[in-house]
Amino acid sequence: MPASFTSFYFLCFYALLLLIYYLIPKKTQWVFLLFASVAFYLLTGEGVLILYPVAASLIAYGAVRRIAGTEDAKQRRLALGAALFLLIGALAALKYINFGIHTINAVASWCGAQEKILTGFHFLVPLGISFYTFSILGYIVDVYNGIARPQQNFFKTALYAMYFPAILSGPILRYREDGEQFFEPHPFDYRQVTFGLQRMVWGFFKTLVISERMNIVVNTVYDNYTAWPGSYIWIATVCYAFQLYTNFSGSMDIVLGMSQTFGIRLPENFETPFFSKNISEYWRRWHISLGVWMKEYVFYPLLRTKAFMDLGKGLRKKWGKKRGKQMTTFLAMFILWFTVGIWHGGDWKFVIGSGLLHWFYIVSGELLAPFYKKCMEKLAIDPKSKWLDGFRVLRTFFLVNIGFVFFRAASAADAWHMLASAVRVWNWGELFGGGIFALGLDVIESVIAAVSLLVLLVVSLLQQKGPVRERIEKKPVLVRFALWYALLFYIILLGHYGPDYSAAEFIYQGF
Amino acid sequence: MTRERVFETLNEVFRDVFDDESITVEEETTADDIEDWDSLEHINLIAAVEQEFGMKFSMGQVVSMKNVGEMADIIMSQIGD
Repeated sequence: MPASFTSFYFLCFYALLLLIYYLIPKKTQWVFLLFASVAFYLLTGEGVLILYPVAASLIAYGAVRRIAGTEDAKQRRLALGAALFLLIGALAALKYINFGIHTINAVASWCGAQEKILTGFHFLVPLGISFYTFSILGYIVDVYNGIARPQQNFFKTALYAMYFPAILSGPILRYREDGEQFFEPHPFDYRQVTFGLQRMVWGFFKTLVISERMNIVVNTVYDNYTAWPGSYIWIATVCYAFQLYTNFSGSMDIVLGMSQTFGIRLPENFETPFFSKNISEYWRRWHISLGVWMKEYVFYPLLRTKAFMDLGKGLRKKWGKKRGKQMTTFLAMFILWFTVGIWHGGDWKFVIGSGLLHWFYIVSGELLAPFYKKCMEKLAIDPKSKWLDGFRVLRTFFLVNIGFVFFRAASAADAWHMLASAVRVWNWGELFGGGIFALGLDVIESVIAAVSLLVLLVVSLLQQKGPVRERIEKKPVLVRFALWYALLFYIILLGHYGPDYSAAEFIYQGF
Repeated sequence: MTRERVFETLNEVFRDVFDDESITVEEETTADDIEDWDSLEHINLIAAVEQEFGMKFSMGQVVSMKNVGEMADIIMSQIGD
């Protein structure tokens, strides 16, 4: 079974699970979910790799018991330190050793070395390691800080770590908010199950109809960018923005919808991020669970360290209250964004594209804010005008797209060449003169893509005014059925399926 | 220190940190009510409150505090009477 929620076999597996889930005694539902999660992990990847999440669950179980079982501050710190070391160590070893080796080799070759100094390793990386490691780390730290209840049952800890809908691509869970509900009895609730299934259908629409089409254009240009200069790079990058968004947020719709059918509510990961008016807001609306995690477990603890507090005091003395405070935050943010970037993968294209570039945006935005304010006063522009907000949304989308060039390109150097070509070559006439249809989607396919994106836009706008499913629920029965069946048939007819009905792999499961 | 007194002092701290003399905090005030109270300013605010009252919030309290009322509860439990 391929590791994809859109594969035919997975849907059969899921249908069977759902049926059994509501037939067995309510008290055993969580045990059943654990079995299902283990089966899912064994069936979708290299079976032996399940030892990693099992070991991580054991570490969490042991550490939490130790932390909660003693008042001795030293013992507690030791247990926390050991768990963090083991969990982060495994993640770093599996995902980042080669990054270090490649970087050292690159530096050596700049310095004139003829051969590679170090050779890289080949590891099989367990599915979902970045996601379950973060969910577990947060849980242990919360127990240490006294805000999460320690779980005394190993198998329950394992279910929290390995819950199959969330293990491939998140959301990153928070035990203190999401944990306990896994073990509660969940009686069958028609409305919740229907809502969950509807959300899954919407997720399939995003991934199979939109993302897969965008993927074709993106691959054409990005796999051979010298043949597609200038405007083609712009159009492919915008397509990539929509590919990544519909793929990742669509997979979240499937994960959250599926969980809802089990009676489990997971945290939202997206809130129409492309409507954001600035970069900070964008990161509060895109991959929300990662942002929250980074804030609570990296950014805040870092700013609360003695070193940073002292630095803050020193800088405030030197540069005054405001500037000093700003500089301390910028430094902490640099570390934060580096971590966010590297979480996505050990490669400079990630460190720049989803990390340091965004740090640069936010810092320059802060530093230039007084200048912008003056400009607007001079030009008599109302800072609250709707037009300006529209401009801000477009500007933010543009900035985010520059980051996506790095994110998608084969390497940071390729991204740089692509951006140079995008700016230097002016060939919009060729693009709109028919070139756009040479990128893998013919006229009909392009129309389907455009219409589907329009549907997405309309639904996203409606979502700004409250939950769309509840509004559809209030419509007469005929309208309701017509809407959902139309969407379902739209997906069945126009969804793009790969050779074994599983082409729609989630981009984020690689992380 | 009475609860009223804690809130009076908190008002001063908030006005100073957010550079806005019009701020008046109440039990139910949250980060959503004050425009500049984002995740960056949260830590600065915490540090300023700690300095003013001569106390320390734990990391758990820093991330789980829901509103100013809870902040006042923690302050009062730590500075005693």
